Amino acid sequence: MTMTNRRALLAGLGAATAAPFVLPRRALAASDTIRVGILSLTSHAPALIAAAKGYFKEQGFEVKLVMFQAAQPMAVAIASGDIDFGMTAISGGLVSLAQKGAIRIIGGALQEHEGIEGQKILASKKAHDAGLKTPADLKGHSFGLTTAGSSFNYMADMIAKKSGFPASDMRLVPLQKVPAIIASLKSGQIDAWSIVPNIADALTKGPEVVEIGKISDYIPDYQVTTVFTSARIADTKPEIAKRYIAALSKGIDDYNNALVYKKADQAEVDAITKIIHQYVYSDQPLEKAAPRIQHGAMLCNPGAALTMSSVKSQLEWLQGANMAPKDVTLDQLVKTGYVKTL
Amino acid sequence: MRDTKTEIRIPADAKPVPFRGGGFRQRRHPLLAPLVLAALLAIWWAGSATGVISPIAMPAPKDVIDAFRDLWTTGALWTNLSVSLYRLLVGWILGSLLGIAVGLMIGLFSQARASALPIVSALFPVPKIALLPLFIIWFGIGEGSKVATILFGTFFPTVISTYAGVDAVDRGLIRMGQSFGLRWSSIVRKIILPGALPAILSGFRISFSIAIVLLVAAEMIGAQHGIGAYILMAGSLFNLGQLFAGVILLSAIGLFGSWLIGLAERRMLDWRQ
Amino acid sequence: MRILLDKISHAYDGTQVLQDISLDLGKGEIVSIIGPSGCGKSTLLRMIGGLERPTSGQVLVTGAAPQGCLNPLTYIFQDFALLPWRTVAGNISLVLEDHGIRGARAREVIDDVLARTKLSDFRKAWPRQLSGGMKQRVAIARALAVRPAVMLMDEPLSALDSQTRELLMDDLVELWTRTPFSAAYVTHNLAEAVRLGHRIVVLSRRPGRIREVVTIDMPLADRPAHMAELEKIQRDLWDMMRDEAAAADRELADA
Repeated sequence: MTMTNRRALLAGLGAATAAPFVLPRRALAASDTIRVGILSLTSHAPALIAAAKGYFKEQGFEVKLVMFQAAQPMAVAIASGDIDFGMTAISGGLVSLAQKGAIRIIGGALQEHEGIEGQKILASKKAHDAGLKTPADLKGHSFGLTTAGSSFNYMADMIAKKSGFPASDMRLVPLQKVPAIIASLKSGQIDAWSIVPNIADALTKGPEVVEIGKISDYIPDYQVTTVFTSARIADTKPEIAKRYIAALSKGIDDYNNALVYKKADQAEVDAITKIIHQYVYSDQPLEKAAPRIQHGAMLCNPGAALTMSSVKSQLEWLQGANMAPKDVTLDQLVKTGYVKTL
Repeated sequence: MRDTKTEIRIPADAKPVPFRGGGFRQRRHPLLAPLVLAALLAIWWAGSATGVISPIAMPAPKDVIDAFRDLWTTGALWTNLSVSLYRLLVGWILGSLLGIAVGLMIGLFSQARASALPIVSALFPVPKIALLPLFIIWFGIGEGSKVATILFGTFFPTVISTYAGVDAVDRGLIRMGQSFGLRWSSIVRKIILPGALPAILSGFRISFSIAIVLLVAAEMIGAQHGIGAYILMAGSLFNLGQLFAGVILLSAIGLFGSWLIGLAERRMLDWRQ
Repeated sequence: MRILLDKISHAYDGTQVLQDISLDLGKGEIVSIIGPSGCGKSTLLRMIGGLERPTSGQVLVTGAAPQGCLNPLTYIFQDFALLPWRTVAGNISLVLEDHGIRGARAREVIDDVLARTKLSDFRKAWPRQLSGGMKQRVAIARALAVRPAVMLMDEPLSALDSQTRELLMDDLVELWTRTPFSAAYVTHNLAEAVRLGHRIVVLSRRPGRIREVVTIDMPLADRPAHMAELEKIQRDLWDMMRDEAAAADRELADA
């Protein structure tokens, strides 16, 4: 009687003492809601796949996807604490928020790789007919941007640098939104632009736009987009960031296998396409959206690996062009240790 | 007999009638506005200096001053201001002139009212920003689409204030003009236009504010310079000091414009007060 | 110049307003038109001035307008109808400009009519600065400036207080005595009608018909001295109208 009692007591004690080590994970997990910022672009597929296939749940996350119209408000929303994770290109705004101690880059996503579909340089038919045949001819032409300090601005400057003329010899035209740039390029009001392959190929199918080059020829190993989170999570809650990267990495693998390496079977490709279609081209029927989603996917770095040299080059360019505060260091911008750096 | 002197005896229980007429009257407090402004600036400065106000939520006053200094020393102030004022004035003046012309037509001719008024009423509430992509195709990404955005934005309210002003002209005055055998053109020029002028001028106040709001929208399309482009760029670079500097410039343009319109009102409507 | 009303009838949206009105307005004669409210007296005046067309019947003029007449049929309105954005002189100049009278010639006319209406000191005043009586004097001056053959007065003194009304009546009598003009004087005030009218046309309530035409054979200038006689005429007129005025008062405005 006493024995059993003691045993029961011990067992009870054991359970009680074990609880803090075992349960917290789950207890925390139950309340661990993370909010992930999403743009309606194929490049955000890894997070969509991770959410749909339950990879976040495996890590104990309850995930909430928050749609944005542009990358800039997404970065600001992380700074304001409305969302926890996002993915976007390195821009002046992102660096400025990092300098103010609001956000950190913790990983890499889309990157230019030799031999894999990458961003393309486009010219309007009008400009092409008038002699704009290669990116080296861009001198004296206009080039579309969303805003100053955006990745488009970076690409334009890098093309100019490599071609041996100052970027000021191009007329950089800020148009705020991608649809506005597309309208301007199609109607020949701007001469050139650069954009991810799936949008580029859709455009060059029409008679108004011609491809004149590849970005990877001008910016090798260009880290196009990065994974970022709030400074609070990156600096004080490494556990959450680690688990997020782990879940995202599984999504990245699925995305790469299905759409980039094309190693997955048709059923898997269809499943992935269906997941992406909920957020991308969702205004079109699946049959029509599927080729657009599947075509021209850029490689997303496995394990969200980050190419530091490219980040450094982009930061230096932003600072040199006066589009980011001069006193930001790479350490302020990037929190290393979560992913492999290349 | 007339008694010019009236003496009254005041009873002991007589009390003054309690005064109830106080309040509800606007008095002048010339010092209050600068004091409130100074207090707000002081709170802002202190909050930023102590870190109570996060640099993400508000720029420090110093950042704003620095932004202004940069604008001044680089000459960017004048570049931005001159292109913006050009767009603002050309768009607003053309929009207002067209608006007055169409508003007069609607006010004077029933055929014009029947045909144009439904169109004006339908297009007025359409946000011109939503039409930006179309404006790019129609007017190009040069000055055309910028001026057009402001022009369209100011045209519709001017049409409406003008025809409302024409409608509000005392019919008795028009009948008077007719009874004295005045020519149609004289009645329009000497009775209807001056009668509608107060409404047209107060419409100017509204349309000028709309023009400033639309300046930022207009400079979303391919503008390398201009206050609106400056604000947009500051926003995308998350440079709050520049953002505030730009907003202050816009607000200064607005204040200056409304001061000018007030001056015009006092000059042109001197018959009123 | 004479004005003849030949069997005027008028209807608004099926409601008969005026019926079979025939009248002769002689040269140099003031005809007062009275009647209960809503009897169509103002409508009748607008028809005389050509601002409205009768449904049937016609308004005719015979004889030439006097020399130098710019606007033979000229109104004076109850609400004065002065342009608030023009000064006293500007309001008078308004009706001269379209006749090509400008500059020194206009100044001459304006000075003359302002002197006749005792307004010479108020040339540059804005209408808002003037009392009601002064405004109506400006309107009278403006009417005089176009040298009318017939003045069409639509309750010209109704918006004024009774003391101002007395003063203006004296002024009108004085103006007429100096240079007689013909006038149709619409009013609902019987005292005005008997003070200023050579003849008084009494209209019935809607549809307005001529009930009676009363002739007062007494020079206008002599009338203040014979108030008792005028009082009697006024009372007779009121006896004639009382019942109808009471009935008209109870009518719905839009019925």
